[in-house]
Amino acid sequence: MTDIRIPEGLWEADKEGVIVTWLYEDGDTVNQDALLAEVMIEKVQIEINSPAAGRLKIAKAAESTVLPGEVIGVIA
Amino acid sequence: MSFVEAIAAKPVQKNRNERKLTIAKALNEAIAQEMRRDKNVFLMGEDIGILGAVWGYTGGLLAEFGEERVRDTPISETAFIGAAVGAANLGMRPIVELMFVDFYGVCMDAIYNLAAKSSYHSAGTFKAPMVLTTAVGGGYSDSTQHSQCLYATFAHLPGMKVVMPSNAYDAKGMMTSAIRDDNPVVFMMHKNLQGMGFLGTIQGAIVDVPEDSYTVPLGKANVARDGKDVTIVGLGMTVHQGLEAAKALEKEGVSAEVVDLRSLAPLDRDTICRSVQKTGRLIVVDDDYLSYGVTAEIIATVTERDIQALKCSPKRIAFPDIPVPFARPMEQHCLPNIQKIVAAARSMM
Repeated sequence: MTDIRIPEGLWEADKEGVIVTWLYEDGDTVNQDALLAEVMIEKVQIEINSPAAGRLKIAKAAESTVLPGEVIGVIA
Repeated sequence: MSFVEAIAAKPVQKNRNERKLTIAKALNEAIAQEMRRDKNVFLMGEDIGILGAVWGYTGGLLAEFGEERVRDTPISETAFIGAAVGAANLGMRPIVELMFVDFYGVCMDAIYNLAAKSSYHSAGTFKAPMVLTTAVGGGYSDSTQHSQCLYATFAHLPGMKVVMPSNAYDAKGMMTSAIRDDNPVVFMMHKNLQGMGFLGTIQGAIVDVPEDSYTVPLGKANVARDGKDVTIVGLGMTVHQGLEAAKALEKEGVSAEVVDLRSLAPLDRDTICRSVQKTGRLIVVDDDYLSYGVTAEIIATVTERDIQALKCSPKRIAFPDIPVPFARPMEQHCLPNIQKIVAAARSMM
């Protein structure tokens, strides 16, 4: 199990970003480094790539707000 | 070959997971692969270099190919689209961006009088093998000058191809075809499908895209969904609305076929007519202006070829003949949507 985490230090810790798109569905099998999700903070788009190969479990759905360091899913 | 057929025909790769890309990423990959293959391919436009384009499809190209081949330009479409036509006439293969289609006014002479006609003027000596990328579509309150589609404006003028993908698989294959094409190709990118966070993205546009280079032919429509009671014709965004409407209609026992035009010039009249021969009913959906538009051309095509194919009058759903409103409720009222398509289909049964 590997956490999919919003990287820290990309924006100020107290500001919320938004998950715009999940490119895969819950339960899909994904490759390591596949582009999994896109997160917006103010007008900047940040890409979240898969930390491992395996089955995707989404913890925070699209349109959820997120903070730096937050876990948004796992690769099992 | 349709998208579905292409997927079915692909060799099964063991242990290959789906690789889902946005249209922006798929276009990026097509352009990079063609730039590696052909040194005459180069890019010009506003913010396509360091920024990677407002529409997100040129990121990383400046780093790989350098400033000679990835050229950030001043804000003068007149100058840099004119320069692209000249470069194309002399054997280069420029990809040049008109950031919003709404801005065509200042550079149209270069597009429709020079690029579209130079091959004809010179008996093919001075071809214009260029790709003009441009973003279309509204729905996000960007008002009159940043929300238009103008498909018919371009498709009306002979000498250019005019195309728009509805998903990332088609986007990559069509861009590869467009770059290799000896004609000028107007390559439209719908903002609601592109994969830009600040605009939202229709999920259906994000599909599996093969890593290797491939082409999707320009001028071939795709039957995106098979059906037998009614044909819904659209392109870009309206294909996805048609597919959603078809799902809703299925619950009511109505089987809708959805045709994704993919190309307006050339227009695949055969695929449209074949579908209507089967279903006998036709709805054309277009987010461009209603009058003198894509909807009229499709309906004229079907009725000219065989009016007997139709069981009832065809219907069109398009943007009314007014400048695009800024106010969200007013703009949403004007745009095509799933409910309008479902209502039209119901009224025909």
